[in-house]
Amino acid sequence: MKERLAELRREGEARIAAASTTSELQNVKASLIGRRGALADIMREIPSLDVSLRPEMGSAANDLKNFLVRLAEEREEALRLAGSAISPDFDLTVPGIAPDGGALHPITQMCYDLNDAFRSLGFEIFQEGEITSELYAFDNLNFPPDHPARESMDTYWIAGHDSGRGGDRLCLRPHLTGASVRYMQTRRPPYRFVYPGRVYRNETTDARHERAFFQYEALIVDREFPFSAGKVMVKSILDKVFGRDVPVRMRVGFFPFVEPGYEIDMGCLVCGGTGCSVCKHVGWIEIMPGGTPHPNVLRASGLDPSEYTGFYVNIGLDRLVMMRYGVDDVRLFHSADLRFLSQFK
Amino acid sequence: MKLSLDWIKDYVELPADLDVSRLMYDLTMSTVEVEGAERMSDRFRNMAVGVINEIVPHPNADKLRICRTDIGHGDVREIVCGGINLARGMKVAVAHPGALVRWHGEGEPVEIKNARLRGVESYGMICASSEIGLSELFPFKEEATIVDLSGFEAPAGTDLAAALGLDDVLLEIDNKSLTNRPDLWGHYGIARELSALYDVPLRGLPDFKLPDGAADVRVAIEDPAKCSRYIGVRIDRVSTKPASFGIRSRIWRVGMRPINALVDVTNYVMLAVGQPTHAFDSGNIEGGITVRRARDGEPLLLLNGRELRLSSGDLVIADDREAVALAGIMGGAKDSILDDTTSIILEIANFEPIGVRVTAQRNDLRTEASVRYEKGIDPQRADQALRLAADMFAAEFPEMTVTGYRDNYPRPLEPTRVEVSLDWMARRMGKRLGDGEIKGMLSRLGFSAEISGDLLLAGSPSWRSTGDISLPDDIMEEIARLHGYENFEPTPITTTFERSINQRGVDLERWLREYLSYRCGMQEVFTYPWVKDEYLDAVFPDRSGMLEISTPPAPDERHVRSSLLPNLLGAVSGNVRYFDDFAIYELSQVFFDRNYASAYDGRELLPEQRRRVTGAFVGWENGVPGLFRRAKGVVENIGRYVHVESLSFGQSARPHWADETVWLNISSGGAEAGHLALLSKRSALAAGIKQSAVMVFDIDVDSLIPLPSRTNKYARLPEYPQVEYDISMIFGDETKWESVESAALGKRGASDLVRSASFVDEYRGKQIPPGKKSITIRLVIGSDRKTLTSDEIESSAAAVKKRLIKQLGGEERT
Repeated sequence: MKERLAELRREGEARIAAASTTSELQNVKASLIGRRGALADIMREIPSLDVSLRPEMGSAANDLKNFLVRLAEEREEALRLAGSAISPDFDLTVPGIAPDGGALHPITQMCYDLNDAFRSLGFEIFQEGEITSELYAFDNLNFPPDHPARESMDTYWIAGHDSGRGGDRLCLRPHLTGASVRYMQTRRPPYRFVYPGRVYRNETTDARHERAFFQYEALIVDREFPFSAGKVMVKSILDKVFGRDVPVRMRVGFFPFVEPGYEIDMGCLVCGGTGCSVCKHVGWIEIMPGGTPHPNVLRASGLDPSEYTGFYVNIGLDRLVMMRYGVDDVRLFHSADLRFLSQFK
Repeated sequence: MKLSLDWIKDYVELPADLDVSRLMYDLTMSTVEVEGAERMSDRFRNMAVGVINEIVPHPNADKLRICRTDIGHGDVREIVCGGINLARGMKVAVAHPGALVRWHGEGEPVEIKNARLRGVESYGMICASSEIGLSELFPFKEEATIVDLSGFEAPAGTDLAAALGLDDVLLEIDNKSLTNRPDLWGHYGIARELSALYDVPLRGLPDFKLPDGAADVRVAIEDPAKCSRYIGVRIDRVSTKPASFGIRSRIWRVGMRPINALVDVTNYVMLAVGQPTHAFDSGNIEGGITVRRARDGEPLLLLNGRELRLSSGDLVIADDREAVALAGIMGGAKDSILDDTTSIILEIANFEPIGVRVTAQRNDLRTEASVRYEKGIDPQRADQALRLAADMFAAEFPEMTVTGYRDNYPRPLEPTRVEVSLDWMARRMGKRLGDGEIKGMLSRLGFSAEISGDLLLAGSPSWRSTGDISLPDDIMEEIARLHGYENFEPTPITTTFERSINQRGVDLERWLREYLSYRCGMQEVFTYPWVKDEYLDAVFPDRSGMLEISTPPAPDERHVRSSLLPNLLGAVSGNVRYFDDFAIYELSQVFFDRNYASAYDGRELLPEQRRRVTGAFVGWENGVPGLFRRAKGVVENIGRYVHVESLSFGQSARPHWADETVWLNISSGGAEAGHLALLSKRSALAAGIKQSAVMVFDIDVDSLIPLPSRTNKYARLPEYPQVEYDISMIFGDETKWESVESAALGKRGASDLVRSASFVDEYRGKQIPPGKKSITIRLVIGSDRKTLTSDEIESSAAAVKKRLIKQLGGEERT
């Protein structure tokens, strides 16, 4: 009987360990220690044993029973924890629940990306009113008195305030540069600041032209700022915005408020500079004008141009966003059309 | 502007190894933007000169003939042709198979193939000028006239482009990049620039010698400020025969139509040196020439047939009788070149740019001459024009004589002189260049340059003295661009650190946008600052206090917004077509015709401008309670999430556009700051919004009071458990939550165990008597000193119920 009990123990250990589901385990348990199980069969034979052997065999059988019961319980717990919380038919291909769908306007997104980049270089952010005067939009910026941009064909003048000259001739600002003089007049040099915003031109609109569009201007003014440092500034910003190494070149350009002025091109990211339809097959895309503030602009800001110099860049935000995403119609930015805007997160 | 590379090469010897793409690149980097280059020979691919050896009739067609044509190297092919001017020995343009031609000069180009024409095998095609894009160079009177090339020295088989001298490259220059460089208008100016860029010699123009015995041409200038120079040259024994092929071909390839030798030479001179000139028929000039202001209402019939009524702002060229030309813009019809002209007075003049621009604009007349004068031309360029014109007239008309001349030059141009510190320039450029190098570059550009110690004295040439060069910075730019911007090493940016950047006002705007977009699920939009009358009518029929644009984008968009709401409703109305349920907002500036002032300059008077944020929650008509709570929740939590002083609600004045019932005023720090309201049905309908409810918030951003930094309050976590306890009670319909909450909390003492009472829901319907509603309130009950027993919890809740019954007539819901 001792051998049979030992054998049953080995068998029990093996079968319990082998049970891979709860119901299988139940069956194993029944066949081992159930009322009609193998152990019960053995125990039923105990009364027929010699009296001297009965206590020893009885307690051995009981030990075995307790052992197997404990083993089965442990196995059952292990199986329970290993099992799934849900039916195996659960459909994992059902889509998730999207978070609430709001977003910033794609122009704001780009603007904030640039703000982050410029702030990391120690630039302040500045804003002026969108209605400005001829004094700040043109006079302070070295636009000659007869410059065509001063005419109503180009600029939106405010009715009833459009006949005077200078400070009381008002318009929706045609560019941001006037704000730079406001900033400089009210703070002490050196300056590092950006002033993003919307500007307005009296234009005929089409897919590439808008009456209202967004610019992003940055200005550094300091005692020493060679223009070759301007290129470093432009490149570090573009690298950050596009998240990769962006080739940059500066070439000659003319704008009244800078001297010298530059057109700044970035290497076409679509073709990598080999030429494609996006860059009109030249490998470069005109991305912003820039240059050293004209001495007259520095003077208007209260600075001595022989003492101070600096570097402007003026980024067309609409253009940059159009390039980033391949948007082909600038008018979409003011459409307020959620079918368009909801594409940008 | 289009430029011919061949023409440029008349004036400058470019480096032998220079290819076109390098030239384009260098000009773009240092001078002007070259937008493209066209190899003209591409237009004439697979076309060559053929010589007709023999012409035989076509067996099956009267109008066609078979031309046995030598196409080069003795290769004779039969070409079927319907040309009416075919002749033996004639040189013709043969399009080989593969060439692209336009049938009868119309439609898309078609590729030539060998074909059977009425049963006869024909090789390629003998072309008419219109079929190969040459009708302006080889005009024809009758259809089916083929190009006769017999006058060209080119044997059979010569490439057509080479035979005609059209194996040229055309450069396209971006005119915008030329605005500040009037000296570059024209081939000679670009040649001069290239000679400086590549340090190669520039060729001079032929000399002009006034023949002995030439008489005076009477030229009077009444207003030297408007006309600083006028050269009049009388040239006799000329005619209106066609110009030589060389001249026609040059002006044609850069975009001008050849007319006759007189007109073509004046155009050639303009395209070469950038100086417009004009030829009058001297037979029609009565007496002398006077440059004067027009009389008000003075009539002038222009060359293009338009009859103008002039005003005293316009400058005219007049003879002793009347105005004969609009100065710097266009000649008159009667006195310019006529078919029988044999004697001309050639005008080479300098007109002041603004006057030309104003007159051209007012009369909507932008001509080749006016665009050039508008840029400002240096008066000494007239000399170049005179030299070139005289030389060309002599070549075109060997028998011509100059019989009269006058150079009236009341205002000679002073060359600009600029002093530059070399040390200053080195610091600005980030690089020091040698004295010799600097002087060399300046002299290549035509400047005089002397250096003594740190001082550079530069004198600009006449063609750069019209305003383009005036400052040391201008001289630096010349040197830097000639040195090459690419040849400056990048300089690292250095800075001194003084303080951190702390701009709460700026952060506020961003935090607010990010809160609305990211937390509240709203989409940011931008709309225009001008408002459509339709949307303005919907919400603000009273326009007082609004600014207007003097030349608005559209007649119904002249008002500048004082509220973001009208255009935001426009945006809602546009989107309800596609979406049932959405939320949008705009944060932008608004403008008021009041409080004129400037924080920057005492001379400036700006109107009041404020930042505003306006949002709209749009949903189904019957979903107002939900929309209201959503919008209110957004506004209520601005304080917490945007870190500004919290906003509070009240009811003092209903906005004009708001629903009768659902409206609240918002205040910040005790001051009025905006509204939260349902758009009235009337306004919604007027804005084109049907069957949708629009819940609006409209807040003055400048009224928000930013807290000094991210501001939160820490409370110690409770040591003893707190329990949530919901009670539902029935109240009269008119009972407000505000009073329920305050009654539930009671007068709170330190011993009170009810920590908070919050709104769970409100219910009307089955089981609730009419005129009543059930409100479920969630109490949080707990103590700082011990764990409460269930008896203590129950008695706290019972006290709350008692207060609600006593103070608000509440009934416990069973």
